[in-house]
Amino acid sequence: MPPNPPPAVIETRALTKVYPGHVTALDGLTVSVAPGVTGLVGANGAGKSTLIKILLGLLPPTKGQAKVLGHDCETGADTIRTLLGYMPEHDCLPPDVTATEFVTHLGRMSGLPPTVAKERAAESLRHVGLHEERYRQIGTYSTGMKQRVKLAQALVGDPALLLLDEPTNGLDPAGRTAMLELIARIGAEFGISIVVASHLLGEIERICDQLVAIDAGRLLRADTISSFTQTSQLLAVEVTEGLAQLQAELAVRGLAATVHAKTLLVPLGGDGTYDVVRDCVADLDLPLCRLEQRRQQVEELFRDEQDDQDEQERVPHA
Amino acid sequence: MPDSPQAAGVIHDLGYRGYDGPRLARSQIVRALTWHSFRSAFGIGRGAKAKIIPVLAFIAICLPAVINAFAVARGDSRLYSYDVYAVTLRVVVVTLFIAAQAPELVSRDLRSRVLPLYFCRPLRPGDYPLAKYLALTAALLLLLEVPLLILYAGTIASAHGGAAVWAQTRALIPGLGVGLMWAVLMAAIGLVLACRSGRRAYATGIVAISCFLTWSLSLLLLGAEGGMNATSTGARLAGLFSPFTILDGTRMWLGGTSPGEVADPGHFGPLYGALAVVLLAASLGGLAARYRKVSQA
Repeated sequence: MPPNPPPAVIETRALTKVYPGHVTALDGLTVSVAPGVTGLVGANGAGKSTLIKILLGLLPPTKGQAKVLGHDCETGADTIRTLLGYMPEHDCLPPDVTATEFVTHLGRMSGLPPTVAKERAAESLRHVGLHEERYRQIGTYSTGMKQRVKLAQALVGDPALLLLDEPTNGLDPAGRTAMLELIARIGAEFGISIVVASHLLGEIERICDQLVAIDAGRLLRADTISSFTQTSQLLAVEVTEGLAQLQAELAVRGLAATVHAKTLLVPLGGDGTYDVVRDCVADLDLPLCRLEQRRQQVEELFRDEQDDQDEQERVPHA
Repeated sequence: MPDSPQAAGVIHDLGYRGYDGPRLARSQIVRALTWHSFRSAFGIGRGAKAKIIPVLAFIAICLPAVINAFAVARGDSRLYSYDVYAVTLRVVVVTLFIAAQAPELVSRDLRSRVLPLYFCRPLRPGDYPLAKYLALTAALLLLLEVPLLILYAGTIASAHGGAAVWAQTRALIPGLGVGLMWAVLMAAIGLVLACRSGRRAYATGIVAISCFLTWSLSLLLLGAEGGMNATSTGARLAGLFSPFTILDGTRMWLGGTSPGEVADPGHFGPLYGALAVVLLAASLGGLAARYRKVSQA
């Protein structure tokens, strides 16, 4: 952490939301999100959408407090909504109007005067990569184009913060990459802070400055991407047989290796680690087929942490 | 930032520009949404197909007034009274209009799930139904009052002397009031029924069937009780079963004398008035509740 962290764009304190019927969507969530591109990750049902609705001031929290850009979500909801752009997860476009008409109208609804709304609608659609197509009815668009219109309508009001809920939903791999690049560009070049909610961590970690992981309404971990990856130098070892043997042998020699999908991950301490692995494999006479340095995927870190937590939870009951 | 016209020809990416200019207040946004909805109530800004029903409704309801203008010019007296102007035609046209256009205003947005995009903007959940209600009321007002104005214009064009014009004007004013009453209540009923369903055909069906069925029920009951001129309690109460007859009973309670859709309510008049108010309040309450729920979903 730098000595003077920039003011948080989102801050929640012990935020709890219990729906009627005792369904707890958020459970004492305390998190602070710095400016930049932030990934909000969690499985489906982890509480991402509930959090977004509270931030938009559409749902009152049961307990706790949430602030967006310094405004309280309950008392300052009107102000917050003039500063936010929101892209919902689901389909939200009428098929029988053109993208230009639609985004212009929503620009008006964001409080833009008529001519400004028209100009900004054209610009937003151009920024998301819709040119001549914007005069066609939305019903004729591909999924990728529709996602772009959804992003354009979030952008039209010149928000200070964008909330994007599963922006790559329904896109093919090329479309996903294009959408992620677009989001990264908006974050970097347009100077707009972005929160991207996704259940696909591997995807959004590519474009995020920081990550917030929630699970069952609670904070799993929130940190910058670099701090996630700092301690994650690993050596991936693959052998066609004798994986368990090798793991045991490595443990004897002081290396705590873990198995992930037929790959042995060994924490990389220095050049010495390579020698130990080589000796082990040679001594056991195993067919080595891969030995490579790997940056640990953030996903694995989360998984570890979750496993730890699950274990801690289990212990008292045992 | 390279945004001069010359640069635009070469550099396609002008870079992002923010907006620091003035923004509309919430009330102005509601006004913009009302205007947008008012236009779409007549199919303006939409395809040609969307204009068919509003235009037909408008022509149909203006026709008697136009015919009146010719009749008056030939020397006949005015064919329709202002306060019960072609009342059966009016019931049919208003029902068709709200059955077609109330879903146009609310069901489309429900169907395409565009509402979260409104509610994440400065609008509050109550503002959206308010704008839709004002828009449909204004559209109905136009549909109900323009024929009266044509009727008035056609009549005074052949009137002789200031006294005759003044008499027409005095007759017109309560007629305009009745039109306002119809618009205010029927817009609320149309919207609260239409917003039950995102399927446009269903919404249209719900509105049309509720209006026509209740109206037929009231007319049937009235017929069974001896018709328009009956003075039995049953006849006086028969109009309480449909919004159109409630409106007509309220008109008579407020002093209207032209024979309309219902028997003279007599001392049951206040009941008609009260029921009209209750119906309006219930419809508007239902509308607001519906959108409070939608905004949180």
